[in-house]
Amino acid sequence: MTWLGKGERRGSLRWRLLAAVCIAVLLIWLLTGALSYHMARHEAEELLDGSLAQTGHLLLALLEGSDDEFAGLGGRLASVRAADNIYEPPLEFQVDQGDGAVIARSLDAPELPILGVLGYSDIIRHDESWRVLNLASEDGRFRVQVSQPSGLRDRAALEVAGQTVLPLMFIVPLLFLFIYLSIRRGLLPLDRLASEVAARTPDNLAPLSGREVPTEARPLVNSINRLFARVSRTLDHERRFTADAAHELRTPLAALKVQSQVALRSTDAPMREKALRQIAGGVDRAARLLEQLLRLARLDPVQQLDNPGPVDLAAVIHEALAAARAACAEADRPIAAPLPRGKAMVQGDAELLGMALRNLLDNALRYSAPGDAIRIGLDARDGEIAVAVRDSGPGVSAEVLDKLGERFFRAPGARAEGSGLGLAIVKRIAELHGARLVLGNHPDGGFVARIEGLKGQLIAPG
Amino acid sequence: MKILLVEDDELLGDGVRSGLMLAGFAVDWVRSGDLALRALADIPYDACVLDLGLPGKDGLAVLRELRRRSNPVPVLVLTARDTREDKVAGLDNGADDYLTKPFELEELLARLRALIRRACGLVSPVIEHAGLALDPVTRQVSRCGEPVALSGREYALLLDFMTHPRHIRTRSQLEESLYAWGEEVGSNTVEVYIHHLRKKLGQDVIRTLRGRGYQLGDSAP
Repeated sequence: MTWLGKGERRGSLRWRLLAAVCIAVLLIWLLTGALSYHMARHEAEELLDGSLAQTGHLLLALLEGSDDEFAGLGGRLASVRAADNIYEPPLEFQVDQGDGAVIARSLDAPELPILGVLGYSDIIRHDESWRVLNLASEDGRFRVQVSQPSGLRDRAALEVAGQTVLPLMFIVPLLFLFIYLSIRRGLLPLDRLASEVAARTPDNLAPLSGREVPTEARPLVNSINRLFARVSRTLDHERRFTADAAHELRTPLAALKVQSQVALRSTDAPMREKALRQIAGGVDRAARLLEQLLRLARLDPVQQLDNPGPVDLAAVIHEALAAARAACAEADRPIAAPLPRGKAMVQGDAELLGMALRNLLDNALRYSAPGDAIRIGLDARDGEIAVAVRDSGPGVSAEVLDKLGERFFRAPGARAEGSGLGLAIVKRIAELHGARLVLGNHPDGGFVARIEGLKGQLIAPG
Repeated sequence: MKILLVEDDELLGDGVRSGLMLAGFAVDWVRSGDLALRALADIPYDACVLDLGLPGKDGLAVLRELRRRSNPVPVLVLTARDTREDKVAGLDNGADDYLTKPFELEELLARLRALIRRACGLVSPVIEHAGLALDPVTRQVSRCGEPVALSGREYALLLDFMTHPRHIRTRSQLEESLYAWGEEVGSNTVEVYIHHLRKKLGQDVIRTLRGRGYQLGDSAP
């Protein structure tokens, strides 16, 4: 285990587990000690009280019928010495004849009035605590007081408790070591998991195997794997975007550069002139690309429309149509716009909606052959208005459909010039209006781009 | 020297074609991978300039297919992608060289010359044969140290012979090397240019092998 700082230690599962287990073991240990002390003390009390009672009754029995030789008996009794332990407890006594006059006593017996209450009592005399038993003979002629220092009982209890707890002193460190090692072993799969995660790079986001991971950590592994999958998808998308953007941005530059070098090198006037014309066209194209990039850049940070107002979508469509017809002869690409009569009022930004429609029309013009009809439709339902632009080209494959609207994506094989940004702009404008751009193929043929979900309704003329 | 240009961008393709033609190459230009593979299968190009960002079958797929068919044509890849992975992928899939857009026309030409030189097994940039010296960089030709002025087609024809010494070149091979698609080829143009070369460089510069074709002469003038 590496040595951790204080803050890290607090956050370490290993340390927390170890600390909790240690504290629990220590508490159990202490509790065991206290309990065994308590029980031993109780046992010692019963045992020693019994021995007091036995001695008291023995003394009384000896005294009965020995009236004539009290003095001798007293002396002999007093000479009995005991050891100072629980197995041979010391015994002090006093004997009197029921009148308070002591006729015999042991040497160290506490000087207590022998006329006390009959039975057991705890008495403190000269800073020493005593367990005392007062007994009287049946005829009342003798009274006996036997006593023992209470300290003996405490010592006995401590000894027993110690014998229970002390062996644990040696077992507890072993226990700690065992616990430490098993925690370490238990957390080893997490270490392996960590190094497996650390080995992942943006190029290698393969799912973690998680085979040896404990069950508790499996949800984490699953979540990480899901995250990897998401990040991987995002990275793929980013990579494709970068490659597409690089191609769209660098190719016109490369073309301009090569054309200019051709113009510089060529000694042939028509060739030079052609190269220069190509350059002029290329610059226009680059300018258009830049314009669209800037449009997107301006739309990107916008979270909502600045000041949406009521916009007549029909009027916006007519404007866009006029622009498209001006750019392309009517006979070349007939545009049908069977719009409902009246106003189609939606909440939004007229300028942006116009830009979206111009882009859609532009696409339709660009990707259809001369003579192909283009159709703009508008319909209203449930407080929502949709506008659709449909061409009569071949439509697009499902695979392409999936990626259309991604920035810089251009359908493979598309011969028409374009930046791959037009639909991305329309999509963004639709989003800003709380609407969606739906792309698809019409059942009767042709590609349809449809802005759905604009909030608004048709207002009949009148 | 005949080059196949595979480029989908009209403006760039037109520029590269003009640049290569200015440098004396005959250029065939196709705009898709499938057409490129078909052209490469039919015509023995001296080199191919291939854009990787093609619509449909992309450049890498074309390269792989080409090498799978064991076509040894030197391929110079043009691409907008400039990461290390992209370059490695291009070279590992069979490209011989790599240029990132935008590029200098001069560099494209130099790399193409180097590719063709290596493919012909030549070591020196200046090609020499039997007292003749041809410098593909300056496009100057000299005979026994004396500079000789040649027209574009004459130079291209001599270059073809000098990069294929000892080969017998048929008339149609020479025409293919000299002209791009769609260029008007007269019925006896190759003969006319050979006649010009003999007049400027000596009768025995090119031998005629009746019924078989032409060969670079091997005796010093």
